[in-house]
Amino acid sequence: MTIVKLDGVTRSFGEKQVLGGVSLQIEKGEIFGLLGPSGAGKTTLVNILTGQMPCGGKAEIFGMDCARIGREVYRRTGAVLDNCGLYERLTCMDNMKLFARLHHTPVSAIAETLRAVGLDGSEGLRVRALSKGMRQRLKLACAILHAPELLFLDEPTSGLDPATAEEIHALMRRLRESGATLFLTTHNMEEAYRLCDRIALLHEGRIVEEGQPAAICRRHGSDAELHIVTSDGKELSLPNLPENAGTVAALMREKKLRAIHSAEPDLGTVFLRLTGKELTQ
Amino acid sequence: MTAILALLRKQTKDSLCNFPALMVMLIYPAVAFVMITALGSEEGMSGMFVTMFATMHASFAPLVTASNILSEEKEKGTLRTLMMSGVSRLSYLVSEMLFVVSVSMLTGSAFLAMDAFTRDHAAAFAAAMLCGTVLSALAGLCVGMTSRNVSAANGMAVPIGLVTALLPMLARFNESLDRAARYLYSGQVSRVLESGELSGEFAAVMAVYAVLLTGLTIFLFITESR
Repeated sequence: MTIVKLDGVTRSFGEKQVLGGVSLQIEKGEIFGLLGPSGAGKTTLVNILTGQMPCGGKAEIFGMDCARIGREVYRRTGAVLDNCGLYERLTCMDNMKLFARLHHTPVSAIAETLRAVGLDGSEGLRVRALSKGMRQRLKLACAILHAPELLFLDEPTSGLDPATAEEIHALMRRLRESGATLFLTTHNMEEAYRLCDRIALLHEGRIVEEGQPAAICRRHGSDAELHIVTSDGKELSLPNLPENAGTVAALMREKKLRAIHSAEPDLGTVFLRLTGKELTQ
Repeated sequence: MTAILALLRKQTKDSLCNFPALMVMLIYPAVAFVMITALGSEEGMSGMFVTMFATMHASFAPLVTASNILSEEKEKGTLRTLMMSGVSRLSYLVSEMLFVVSVSMLTGSAFLAMDAFTRDHAAAFAAAMLCGTVLSALAGLCVGMTSRNVSAANGMAVPIGLVTALLPMLARFNESLDRAARYLYSGQVSRVLESGELSGEFAAVMAVYAVLLTGLTIFLFITESR
């Protein structure tokens, strides 16, 4: 079942075209990652999908035009966006209660949601007293309180320590297991590789590659070079040529060969090859 | 309706934790009380202080509070969070308007206890305060809608508020200013607060400002939604 459908989506700010005909589909129950460097158009695309910005072309969620989405669609979606804030003078519980009332969700669901994001015991803390990681978790809690079918996450782990980022990843996997669809934007290739079922690489407002992360890496891999790891941990790269067969055979005879595989690039290298630019720029 | 009630509850809690916002709503009744207590024994002084500070309260407090609330929501990104939770812009503006007018009238009602009003004078006083408060709150919404952050909103709201709040007071001492103040809604509010009579001139000036400010609010509401 298609949850998100984009067909030739365009958006310009004055003379500058930010999105130049983006087309993609996201199916129910998958984690979809949109990768691109800063300024590639990721946040603009999320703003369009969440009905915050008009666009050219066709953008739909749940089969409804994004420019016309209303309360019924917002009840089925949640969002953790960088430019979305919380009420800093209020406590975690007050913030959660507000969103529970807005989404007609029982207040009893708050405790369970706070526990799910690891904020149990922080109900009475004011938001301004929370660390960046805790704020991000609270944003996530507010976004998932009403059990949305589609969750937008714009750079959800940006600036967080690895342990907190890993906890948020685990929560995202649990949400997928419960049937939710996740739309993630990031410039963290490792996060996208480990977490996403499918990704799209966005460069200057256009999708330059799309598919499963491992499949993309394989597609852009090269069998012209072999990557070898020996039993003592050394790593070798050898040209995949007949004259190197002896070296490999010798390592095998001496039982020193731990791993041998083709030299597949990571997503950052794929992006660099496709666009000539670093993903993290 | 659920959204409006939820937003009113949120705004009440948030404002109680916001000392500067509380100050704006309480400062004029408090200053009037102090002045009347200190100097009010002289004949007519309490009435003059009540009229002066009640006009300032009705002109300044709703304007600055409404613009601050809206611009802060925009600056902190909470307005976007609300919109993405299914809150319509209209529900948001209605809830903000209700909150600002209610709190301003509640704190402004203290002025009624500071002087000996007849029943008719008190009714005219309350009606004029309500009209002035609603118009100031509408002006505050317009400032908030056009401002990206709190400092930009204050940069616009404070000068407007000072003119509308101080001109009726200065008009007491200068005939030219008095003629100008007649065409200002706060000038008309001040006249009714003092005389206790709702005149046709008051109704006409209020109607003109109501049409202008409502039109401007609707125009900004539509253009800012795009």
